[in-house]
Amino acid sequence: MNITETRPEAATTGMLHLPLQVNARGFAVLRLGRPEESVVTFTKERLLALDRALQQLASTTGLRGVVITGPGAAMFCAGADIGLIHSIQTVAEGRDAAVLGRSIFERCQKLAVPVAAAIEGPCVGGGCELALFCDVRVASDHPSTQIGLPETKLGIVPGFGGTQNMTRLVGLPTALDLILNGKLLRPYPARKKGLVDRIAPSSKLLDIAFEELERLVAAGKKAPTRTLRGQAYWFSKTPLRALAVNAARKALNKGQARFYPAPKQALELCIKAITVSPEQGFAAEAQALGEMIATPVSKALTQLFFLTERSKRLGKSDGAKDCKRALIVGGGVMGAGIAGQLANKGIATRLCDLSGEALAKAKARLQQDLSRRVSRKQLQKHEAQAIQDRLAVASEWGGLANVDLWLEAVVEDLGVKRKLMAQAVAAGLPANAIVATNTSSLPVDAMADAVPHPERVVGIHFFNPPEKMPLIEVIRGKRTSDAAVATACRLATRLGKFPIVVGDSPGFLVNRCLSPYLNEAARLLVEGNDPEFLDRVILDFGMPMGPCRLLDEIGFDVATKVSEVMQGAFAERMQPCALFSAMVAAKALGKKTGGGIYGKDGKGVGPGRKVLETVREQRGVPKREASRSEVVQRLVYPLVDEAYRCLDDGVVAAEQDLDLGLVMGIGFPPFLGGITGYAKSEGLKTIVGALDELARTSDPRFRPSDGLRRRAVN
Amino acid sequence: MTNHDLDLAIVAGWRTPFCKAGGALAGASAADLATHVFREVLDRTGIDPKAIDEVILGCAGPDAAEANVARVAALRSGLPKEIPAVTVMRNCASGMEALLAAEQRLRAGDGEVFLVGGAESMSNFPLLMGKRLVKFFTGLQKARSVTQRLMALSKFRVSSMKPRVAVVEGLTDPITGLMMGNTAENVARLFGIDRAAMDAFSLQSHQRAEAAIAANRFAVEIAPFASQPHFAAMISSDDGVRQGQTMEALAKLRPVFDKNAGDVTVGNACQLTDGAVGMLCMSLARAKALGLQPLAVIRGHARVGLSPEFMGLGPVHATPRALQQAGIQFSDLDLVEINEAFAAQVLGCQKAFASDDYCHRELGLSEAIGELDSRKLNVNGGAIALGHPIAASGARLPLTLAHELRRQKKRFGLASLCIGGGQGQALILEAV
Repeated sequence: MNITETRPEAATTGMLHLPLQVNARGFAVLRLGRPEESVVTFTKERLLALDRALQQLASTTGLRGVVITGPGAAMFCAGADIGLIHSIQTVAEGRDAAVLGRSIFERCQKLAVPVAAAIEGPCVGGGCELALFCDVRVASDHPSTQIGLPETKLGIVPGFGGTQNMTRLVGLPTALDLILNGKLLRPYPARKKGLVDRIAPSSKLLDIAFEELERLVAAGKKAPTRTLRGQAYWFSKTPLRALAVNAARKALNKGQARFYPAPKQALELCIKAITVSPEQGFAAEAQALGEMIATPVSKALTQLFFLTERSKRLGKSDGAKDCKRALIVGGGVMGAGIAGQLANKGIATRLCDLSGEALAKAKARLQQDLSRRVSRKQLQKHEAQAIQDRLAVASEWGGLANVDLWLEAVVEDLGVKRKLMAQAVAAGLPANAIVATNTSSLPVDAMADAVPHPERVVGIHFFNPPEKMPLIEVIRGKRTSDAAVATACRLATRLGKFPIVVGDSPGFLVNRCLSPYLNEAARLLVEGNDPEFLDRVILDFGMPMGPCRLLDEIGFDVATKVSEVMQGAFAERMQPCALFSAMVAAKALGKKTGGGIYGKDGKGVGPGRKVLETVREQRGVPKREASRSEVVQRLVYPLVDEAYRCLDDGVVAAEQDLDLGLVMGIGFPPFLGGITGYAKSEGLKTIVGALDELARTSDPRFRPSDGLRRRAVN
Repeated sequence: MTNHDLDLAIVAGWRTPFCKAGGALAGASAADLATHVFREVLDRTGIDPKAIDEVILGCAGPDAAEANVARVAALRSGLPKEIPAVTVMRNCASGMEALLAAEQRLRAGDGEVFLVGGAESMSNFPLLMGKRLVKFFTGLQKARSVTQRLMALSKFRVSSMKPRVAVVEGLTDPITGLMMGNTAENVARLFGIDRAAMDAFSLQSHQRAEAAIAANRFAVEIAPFASQPHFAAMISSDDGVRQGQTMEALAKLRPVFDKNAGDVTVGNACQLTDGAVGMLCMSLARAKALGLQPLAVIRGHARVGLSPEFMGLGPVHATPRALQQAGIQFSDLDLVEINEAFAAQVLGCQKAFASDDYCHRELGLSEAIGELDSRKLNVNGGAIALGHPIAASGARLPLTLAHELRRQKKRFGLASLCIGGGQGQALILEAV
């Protein structure tokens, strides 16, 4: 026992040393970081430090076992450093990195004594792969504990042996579910799946790990004997495997999944784990990582990850406060959804509406969500009850003395909104409370006029449905304070959403960009294209939903209202297509009224087709079907143009905002690298050229902005 | 600090609608109901929750899963964990007991601001396993070998499946073996109150409640409740009132307690009902300091015991002491709320108040307490029409009384209940 503490020269040489200590029982505890580190990722430096520590252990005499654990509470290891992943450009470089990491982790297996992973907090990606090389895994029941291999979400495959070890440990079906979907498991499900061997209370994590080591030492074993049983066995080791593989393969070729190569690679690797030798499997894995890490898809996804991290930092700036008590006025679809989200995240929320029916519906809608999560065991019953209890619904506002977030989601009527805000202030809303509006089209500044201390008035624009849509536009009015913006961003992050800060200009970012896109889709329809065709082209482009289906979701009433506002602000560029008003007149609004272009439940044809026919006839021009490339040019290029216009008009501050906003807001294909990434890879010159051509041959509305033209030249 | 500064002021209060057991509120437990009214009190008053010293809630039949309903509801409504909570139980007066307990804590210097109330879910009163069934299950549990198990199983009798009905057992006096309705028959016989008088009183209760609802008078005290567990609708009004109730319809009902010669029917007795009441109470001094206008202030109270066989006369026994504490006369009372457990019992109270003989014999007074004018009594109807969610009633009476005193711009009111087991409880409110 010749190790005491990390050597003192560590600090001076600048070389990273991982804390390593051997206790009186001969068990070493190796920590993956220093106590002050709240996040641990594998940089090259840390991998080498781990390598040195494991080598040191290999030559330590009298050692009986090793526990590898995180730096302290609530963190094991969050995987490879994303910056590192992003920086690797070539296949060879990626492959070498994989081989290096795996060969270091393999030292755990080569040690003569048993090695236990004591896991608390995130144990994901490379962290999980290290744990998989350990002989036994103990997980803390701490709420932060999550285990899994989410690499495919970054467009890569696990490269440090994860696909091979995971599949051998838990069997093919579970491994595919975890790796292909990047799913993370909480401790109890992880134990059930066989990913961890034992669960420990947080305070006894190391003791339980020692206990597991003692048991192995007593039995004279390096590792427990493991065999696959039941389903895991049948679907891994017998011909039944084909069923699991085919089901997974099918899912990977459907919908948006088809644009992502990494899960398909991961699938092949998982199959190799049970069909070829470990050496071959590991080699194939390293090669696959190299191939995947160099793809533009992976670069786009890691870039998107950085954008989400950037977005999360918005809520951490000075003056950001946590909201504790919220009053939501307006119990419609948006208000009810928002209120449920707030209650979900621990905010005491009161939802007010004059209609009792709307209020009951809001509670029922939340209950539906909660029941589903309870039945899926994502939530315990008492937790669901606490969430439901947090949502009070009433027609009376009550006292506002304790409210720190007041938000309206009533009809888009400036007068009504101004009146309600004034009323809130008169009813005793504290001067430091946030006064927020969920408006999608009205100017925040015009509302702030109604309120003393207008610096607290801010727009918090949720998208429909608030339960699912990940983006929030935080609207900064002329007088909105930095603190109010930061508080709104913090709220968004707390709700698990991504905020972007936008200027107080019509349509903000998302609706403004969407407007020419939807208008153009309607024009293409009227010209004689089938909605199914248009939607298919856009789905093939990579969007999650085609424009015609999107119109049905939004509703033609809302689309009309928004496009009127847009036309008011941007004149002919945003002139609404005649189809909009015709659909409204025929009450074929979309999903909400029993169907629009598609049927009520989104299937078949809806009542809107007749309206479309009439509009086509009235136009009196013969039908003309567009080519696939024309559809993309007419729908997507103006979207690019409008996005850059937003940047030039100061609606957003940076290209990153455009990318995050449009990926999260309209589902612009993440694998394309955001809208600016797409524009650059498509070539700004090409886009400007195509738009100029369209402007010349068809309509001046296509004329690109000077800003875009300037960029194309440079 | 003047003496009055230590009087307990009811600052605000709301209740759920009172709905027939097995009906609109049946999906909610007592804690669900109490959570709702507590949250409403917190939200609507906007009081700093940390200012509350204790939560006191009456509940006569809490569910086994939430035995201290007060604590469960306090935490669920979002009160900080540091605030203690107690559930109190004095049968039908449990809700009033909560209020009086707060008053006494205030006078004892044990807190100044209280969240009080009463909650009852009679829908959820359980069916209990009979003793024989319990014995059967314990025997089965203890059995180890196969033969022992077979022996234990063989002891099963279908008849032992008969459950004990908590609501029936709860409404039976274990000392005298009488059901509450039988004690009402006793009161009726003592004062010669006949069926017609009972039915007429019941009709009046329905008519007054109907008028109060039509005039939207309960709107100030009801906080609409989203029906559980499916939240299908917002329940905003009491549903026990029978619109267009008639003497003929009442006369058709058969007596339920004394089937042979009785007069008490379901028509002239209170209804089994679910409901909860929550009130914010504090010293008058604190209310003044916070700039809150109290609904009313408690000026006097009393709790007394009497023969369980005549428990319905409890209010008569409690009132003189409460009046004495308040320093006022019976004739000073502008409004009176006596819980309508049974028409016979309220009418009996009215007779006893006015009887020299009864007041002398039972209370040792030199003469009758006084005539109780029907125009002052239960002016918005009572439990016969609105229902009697046991512990909630004791809190509803002072709340309804306080609102009515303010509405009529009157000063003094009496709220009183008879209590199963032979007790009476009363309090005097003054609108300030």
